[in-house]
Amino acid sequence: MFETIAYVAVTPRPGEQFFQLYVLGANRLLSDYYPDGDPDIRVGELVKWYVGVTDFMGTVQLVGLRLKLGNQTISPPNDLEATPSPAPLVAEFWRFIQNNETWEMPFFWQIVNGDAVGGSTRVLALQINNETYPVLGPTAVNGYNFRLIIELWTWEAQSTTLQFGWSASGERRVAWAQVWFNMTNPLPQ
Amino acid sequence: MYQQTEHADERDMLSSSRLLIMCVALLALLLVTPRIATSQPSEELQPRFSKALALVHQAEVAGATREEITNLVVLLNKALQLNEQATRSPTFEAKRRGDLLAQVNETLGTVETEASQVEVTAARRTLTTRTQAYLSGGILAVVSTFAYVIAVRFWREYRIKRTFQMRVFRKRVEQSVHRK
Repeated sequence: MFETIAYVAVTPRPGEQFFQLYVLGANRLLSDYYPDGDPDIRVGELVKWYVGVTDFMGTVQLVGLRLKLGNQTISPPNDLEATPSPAPLVAEFWRFIQNNETWEMPFFWQIVNGDAVGGSTRVLALQINNETYPVLGPTAVNGYNFRLIIELWTWEAQSTTLQFGWSASGERRVAWAQVWFNMTNPLPQ
Repeated sequence: MYQQTEHADERDMLSSSRLLIMCVALLALLLVTPRIATSQPSEELQPRFSKALALVHQAEVAGATREEITNLVVLLNKALQLNEQATRSPTFEAKRRGDLLAQVNETLGTVETEASQVEVTAARRTLTTRTQAYLSGGILAVVSTFAYVIAVRFWREYRIKRTFQMRVFRKRVEQSVHRK
């Protein structure tokens, strides 16, 4: 009986392996995602979000956040087949995080360039955390229903490849988030 | 003859303008590409990152503490940051890029060395802890068995003592009945 107690005391218990991904608004809450509550973003208008990932995998993980710009018709990531969105990649951010650690990064972005031709609006460049990224992205009818898709990617240590989501207990799991916005007026503020 | 020369000049002009467009397109592509693909480990360094991460995992499995792993994670993130700077540096700054990649290599080498040391230390510590736990379990079992035996013995002696200390009294109720 004492040996059983000793065994239980020194043997770590295996827990469920997963990641947590979240996007918070300007006040680090699940609200205030748009300046003045208006989802119609103008060129040069700063949008403040906070994106966070928590590692519950039990080990150190290399995680990546891939930001993609989509519109209403581009398909989002597929949860069942664990496939990423075909939307064009705008930027990606990578970091090593250890078990039970949360990596939260400010995600302050603004549209720095956009145009509208014949009712078809395009975002041409995004500035994220003071870094400008050109966008070879999709168009939206009259600037409605753009969306920023944030996908969680991890480094698969065994196969030495990057993968969308992660593998746990022989299963593939994914985590992603998206926030919709409009850009009905591509002229600067 | 003049026309032929003119055509040849036009062809030269066309080919040179094509060349110019291609150069501009290539330059634009080179300027744009590093910004789109940012901080993921560069392909030539992916095996190094993978090896370093595998060694960190081994240290974790061996039972390294959170503080020990934090130090390794800080170094890994430093390597990742340097890698990002190298990826973003313009192609004409080849020397700077080379220096940064050398620093990444060096940092990953430090991670590998430290992770191996941490693994050895952690494995030794875990072995000591387990041995102590199992030995403590055994010692506790022996001590508790002795304690039980002694306790039972004392209890029996106490019962015997109590039995021999007993005295016989006539019941008072019976006495009162007899008086009547």
